[in-house]
Amino acid sequence: MAFLHRHRGLTPYLLLAPGLAWLAVFFIVPLGFLAYQSLQSGNFDVGYAFSWAWGNYWHAIRDYRGHFIRSLEYAGIATALALVVSYPVAYWIAFRGGRWKNLLLLFIVAPFFVTYLIRTLAWETILADNGFVVRTLQAVHLLGSGGRLLATSTAVVAGITYNFLPFMALPLYVSLEQIDESLIEAAQDLYASRWKAFLRVTLPLSLPGVIAGTLLTFIPAAGDFINAQLLGSPQNHMIGNVIQSKFLELTDYPAAASMSFVLMILILMAVLAYARAVGTEKLTG
Amino acid sequence: MSATEALSATRPGHGVAARSWTFVRRHVLTVYSSLFFLYLLLPIGIVVAFSFNHPVGRFNYVWQGFTWDNWRYWDGVPGLRSAIVLSLQVALLASIAATILGTLIALALVRYGFRGRGATNLLIFLPLSTPEIVLGASLLTLFLNLNVAFGFWTILIAHVMFCISFAVVTVKARLIGFDRHLEEAAMDLGANEWTTFRKVTLPLIAPAILAALLLCFAISIDDFVVTYFNSGPRITFPLFVWGAARIGVPPQVNVIGTAIFAIAVTGMLANVLVQIRRAKAAASV
Amino acid sequence: MTDLYTRRKLLERAAAGGAVLTVPGFLAACGGSGKKAAATAASSSHKLAKTLRFSNWTLYMDTNNKKHTHPTLLQFQQKYGVQVQYTEDINDNASFFGKIQGPLSRGQSIDRDLIVMTDNSRYPSLLIKKGWVEKLDKNAIPNIKNLQPALQHPNWDPNRDYSLPWQSGMTGIAFNDKLSDPVLSIDDLFGNPKLKGKITCLNEMADALSLVMLSNGDDPSNVTDKTFNRAIAKIKKAVDSKQIRQFTGNDYAPPLAKGDLAAAMSWSGDIAQIGNKHIHWNLATDGGDIWTDNMLIPKGANVYTASVYMNFAYDPKIAAQIEGGDPKTGDTGVYYICPVVGAREVLLKKQPAIAKNALIFPTKKMLDNVHIFDAKALNNQKYLTVWQNLISA
Repeated sequence: MAFLHRHRGLTPYLLLAPGLAWLAVFFIVPLGFLAYQSLQSGNFDVGYAFSWAWGNYWHAIRDYRGHFIRSLEYAGIATALALVVSYPVAYWIAFRGGRWKNLLLLFIVAPFFVTYLIRTLAWETILADNGFVVRTLQAVHLLGSGGRLLATSTAVVAGITYNFLPFMALPLYVSLEQIDESLIEAAQDLYASRWKAFLRVTLPLSLPGVIAGTLLTFIPAAGDFINAQLLGSPQNHMIGNVIQSKFLELTDYPAAASMSFVLMILILMAVLAYARAVGTEKLTG
Repeated sequence: MSATEALSATRPGHGVAARSWTFVRRHVLTVYSSLFFLYLLLPIGIVVAFSFNHPVGRFNYVWQGFTWDNWRYWDGVPGLRSAIVLSLQVALLASIAATILGTLIALALVRYGFRGRGATNLLIFLPLSTPEIVLGASLLTLFLNLNVAFGFWTILIAHVMFCISFAVVTVKARLIGFDRHLEEAAMDLGANEWTTFRKVTLPLIAPAILAALLLCFAISIDDFVVTYFNSGPRITFPLFVWGAARIGVPPQVNVIGTAIFAIAVTGMLANVLVQIRRAKAAASV
Repeated sequence: MTDLYTRRKLLERAAAGGAVLTVPGFLAACGGSGKKAAATAASSSHKLAKTLRFSNWTLYMDTNNKKHTHPTLLQFQQKYGVQVQYTEDINDNASFFGKIQGPLSRGQSIDRDLIVMTDNSRYPSLLIKKGWVEKLDKNAIPNIKNLQPALQHPNWDPNRDYSLPWQSGMTGIAFNDKLSDPVLSIDDLFGNPKLKGKITCLNEMADALSLVMLSNGDDPSNVTDKTFNRAIAKIKKAVDSKQIRQFTGNDYAPPLAKGDLAAAMSWSGDIAQIGNKHIHWNLATDGGDIWTDNMLIPKGANVYTASVYMNFAYDPKIAAQIEGGDPKTGDTGVYYICPVVGAREVLLKKQPAIAKNALIFPTKKMLDNVHIFDAKALNNQKYLTVWQNLISA
């Protein structure tokens, strides 16, 4: 401890070292190889050669522009939905959960214990054309008489939202839980309504959680492909599906690699815009 | 009458109507949250229900009759037991390791100023934005180049790698807005930094650490793509399920998913009941 | 596929088979008594390895669910003294290839003696082209003569030098008689307005294009740009008009079973497994295709041991057991199309229902009406890209 005292400036680096080292070796190095691959040309039969093939990036954008945009769109809608749906529950657990908090948190991640495929297949059962849900929606005329939910963009977005709910709910809970209730009481004593107290006190204090949840949801959702594959029609496919097929079916590794980088850059641009909107200090602490 | 009571007595509409409205308001959150959990656990309900199904063929999609057989012979599908054991082992170790590494990084990011803070944040976000398939395949390439034997350790390394970011973001949400005064007060009272961390900071960020643990555990136990590329001959539960899907997922998979969920819930419930008993015992002293 | 057998070839084969019959038995007696294991290097040595490392698809071996064993593998172990390390880690051709191409392209072994890949994907032919699989030790496989004639000369491995079928399946059309009149042709499937949005097409290029080309009157075993484009245009029309709801792998099974789909381009084995009396499967009237999961020996494997296993699996009695299991001991079988001649006769005595099931033992009429897709087309990068863009609109 005395060591740390004397070398106070070292502390952050010591804290960062193990985690960052892990990421450096097992993520950055592979990523570097991926970057190298993205600039190769050739095909699987004759082999690939490094050739500063920036054209790969251009082709990725030119040929699959629609998929990129669709992915950002679906991910964005799913994130917004997840936020709106999860916030009240995170609030409820944080403030009313009492000693049941941990149990309730467990319930939130429970769906992950049954694998992705089984969950999605269960949704196929629930959203079946002759199922209860669809028939009810048809009865209240939210859905046309021949309408269906499966193999539509609605099902895909709903699937993405569902699968990423814990990613949104847990960070929200984490920052809501630490809010001192006496602050809210004080606000209520000074303001007339609970609602205003919420808007002026609780919401701003929970912003780090909102930001964290949004990032943890949006970023991976943009690259998702399973929901589109199982719950969507060909017109709903996302860029993740294309990358998947470029890599596996077409063994076109440079294309898959360059597309992945384009996706990453697009996501980071979206995140930067978001950071600017909410104020960078909240994002980076 | 306290000041607050006096104030609330002067608030407008303190009659029956207002009190019913307060009742509704108080409980709308509970009702909403109950609906949320219903929605969240609906697919799980289907999975549980179909674990009792007696499918005629190999596909377990249409209800064909009740049976206890799947539960009696839960171990009846070769490879299923070892798959789930492996998944649980990896998930447990990976979530603990990732949470530790992630918490350290979060502490450094929020508490200290250092060079390379922007780069560190970027490094944390990048794995989240990389499509799983390229994450898995590029890591595979690294392992091949290092001539590493594929199996338990490569799976574990991969899982820790992609979980760190989730842990960082979750714990960070708690650390931002953390009241440093509490720590300062402790130190004023004579505690050194380590004691303060242990007795003040750690307990206060414990909910965030638990949330990070849960999230990482859920992600790890559910991971398919990255695991597939780096598992060698070992089979995890998701790999088993996706493999079985081609021919028909056996109902025992539903049984396993249900069982894990049930065991986790029971464990948490027991924890809560112990806490209640302890609190009662303490109160009656 | 036309049968290229000539009388001469038949006689040649018989002679070779007879001469070699005793050799495996003799060598097995030598190698099986615990003598040292052969090196993992590909060898022309005739020593059995201590372990056979076999990668296969899930639920693709006869199984005893109570003891969780694979009875035929146990029998192999007892007969030859070779331990079988059986892993079910193949769930998709493309992903599996993506995994093994890394080590194979570096000349490293993938620690397997046997793998199983489907020939409606490009990977078996790609593996051969890249030189990443070993030639079979045919001297150790006299039972190769039991291979179904229809499967003996695929155009990607005309002499079966590198592969042997494990199980086959056919592609046809399934329909639900409660939701639709019989759907028996591709033109009906894609053109009938009553089926709009209630049908699916397969996402495997070989299977989908085979059926569509046949409905255009073209030959899928010999694909040209013209025939390819004609088939793609037909499918694209059905996609754009939203006739086709989705492109699926065998995840057409849940919606079909539940009634979300009225009809689906589908594989034969699955339909029997859905267990719904209202769902019927037929080969399309213009013909269908037959695909086969093939055993291959990756580079670095013990060729002899792998070949001995192949020979073992091609014994009609063993093949019958793999196919149908054994109800007396509670073993379940695989129930796909058996590639071994003679297995049917064995099952006729023990499990006549399986022997008479046309989806497991197709009739000659059916076999005459199925084709194997042109492997050259499967490796044509241009075709593959067009296909991927079609199914991922």
